[in-house]
Amino acid sequence: MKQNWWKFLAVALVLYSVVVGLLRPLNPGILKVNPISIEAGKSYDMTIATYNTDFQSGDDIQSYLKINDTFGIQSQQVEILAPNELKVTFDIPTKLPSILQRDAYSIILSADRVGTFIRPRAVSIVQNEIDISGAIAAWPQNSFGDFKKAAKANFPFRAILYESLRNLFYHVPMWFGMTFLLMGSLVCSVLYLANKNTRMDTRAAAMIQIAVLYGILGCATGAIWARGTWGTWWTFEEIKLNVSAATLLLYFAYFLLRAAIDDEVLRAKISSVYSIIGFVAAVFLLFVLPRMVESSLHPGNGGNPGFGGEDLDNTLRTVFYPAVIGWTVLGFWMAQLTFRAKFLQDYFLEKYD
Amino acid sequence: MIFYLHLDMKSILSLIHLEFKMELRRKYALGGALLYVLSTVFVIYTSLQNAENLPWNALFWLVALFIAVNAIAKSFAVEQDGTQLYLYQLASGIQVILAKMIYNVLLILVLLLLAMGAFLLFLAIPIQHVGLFVGTVALGSLGLGIVLTFISAIANKTDSSAVFTAILSFPVLLPILLSLIKLTKASFAAESTSVSQDIVILLAIDTILIGLILILFPIVWKD
Repeated sequence: MKQNWWKFLAVALVLYSVVVGLLRPLNPGILKVNPISIEAGKSYDMTIATYNTDFQSGDDIQSYLKINDTFGIQSQQVEILAPNELKVTFDIPTKLPSILQRDAYSIILSADRVGTFIRPRAVSIVQNEIDISGAIAAWPQNSFGDFKKAAKANFPFRAILYESLRNLFYHVPMWFGMTFLLMGSLVCSVLYLANKNTRMDTRAAAMIQIAVLYGILGCATGAIWARGTWGTWWTFEEIKLNVSAATLLLYFAYFLLRAAIDDEVLRAKISSVYSIIGFVAAVFLLFVLPRMVESSLHPGNGGNPGFGGEDLDNTLRTVFYPAVIGWTVLGFWMAQLTFRAKFLQDYFLEKYD
Repeated sequence: MIFYLHLDMKSILSLIHLEFKMELRRKYALGGALLYVLSTVFVIYTSLQNAENLPWNALFWLVALFIAVNAIAKSFAVEQDGTQLYLYQLASGIQVILAKMIYNVLLILVLLLLAMGAFLLFLAIPIQHVGLFVGTVALGSLGLGIVLTFISAIANKTDSSAVFTAILSFPVLLPILLSLIKLTKASFAAESTSVSQDIVILLAIDTILIGLILILFPIVWKD
């Protein structure tokens, strides 16, 4: 029990990340606005479809059309059509505080219990003449009232991602786990070359086995995520997908090399050497090359902000970090079991051969 | 384990000389590599002569990859056990791998320049910056030569060294090839683009690999 505490920790953290990661709801958000293109100087009834809201008659709901932090107008009236649907009426002034003929405006909703949420660049408004000073006179300044706070902060609502945001807790820890396991196998390979104890080599192979399993699961969870957000299971246009596939190929070649050498000591030596060279290549593949490309849809590459900037907020962190630690430790436990099974198999094969 | 770089240029040069003599002694080897270059380009010429806007970049490096693998896969296999034992007594592992790497890099450079000439002659690849392209080919031979020499030493420990040289080296070569393809793209583009970052990456990969190989090869070599 005393030396097994880390196994309990791993199981607890993974269970926690699965249960909380799947059950905790998303914050409310705006799914759809209709119409999305309007003209200045007219009055519009807009229907706004919202997500995860439970509007009831009697709720005090405010809605704003906002161009920047200073200028915004409040709607004339808000009518609740359904728990997830509103009708708001905006009177758009003839002059807009923008130097563009057509500019995008955000919609903010603020309601009791539900809290405040925004859809950036939700509506585009066209104006006939550009008159900034006239617009400044016509638009109220700093008219935003006190925004209402939600009773409880949940996972952020992100357009395009929606509920698939939860995949953060399952897709990303796979690659973290794989990286740590590969580092562990590197240490074991170096130790083998230093001490010539073939058990170290078996240990390294077991860690790589689990790392490859994690890599395959990472590709699978990534494919599911890509299907939902990019519309395709797999694309060779994305550098990160290509380099992950190449890394898996590298370690498939490692197992083929092990299978090709019968002598135990020679196999341990050669595969340790190859795994050290392969690790260097894998580091370049996974961590250097993706940062060199001009553009990429995958977060964290080619000037695309990764999860970690404003995407990873504190509610996500409370599940994401435990998931990373849990899956990594679980991976090392699996590698240990694989190593023991292989060790016993070799032992009995030798004994009864 | 203490590794110190015992760089005796004279013995490395004589090992390169030995390598060269052995290559010349097997006349079919060098001739085979040259014919491999010509026949590959000829196959491409006859099968693709009507097509336009071919992916020259990828095509060139695929051909280069197969030429290099083919030329180097037998780098360690040709030595009979006697030669290996003889070398083992005379030179250190670091000297042997350095000599072999230098020889193989030069061999690939010659073969790739020939392939480049054949591509220019038969296939009219749209090179805009010849200097950059030749530099890319030189950097490419350096990377391919370093990795393939070492991988062929590893693959030589298996029964089918040619197959294993290919499958073990492709993933390791991929970072190098991707950088090379980016550099080649720059040499095909009409306007000059900054390539220093890719050259630095390539040289960084090569340096790290050479350092590791100098440490690891003596382990592989000692039987």
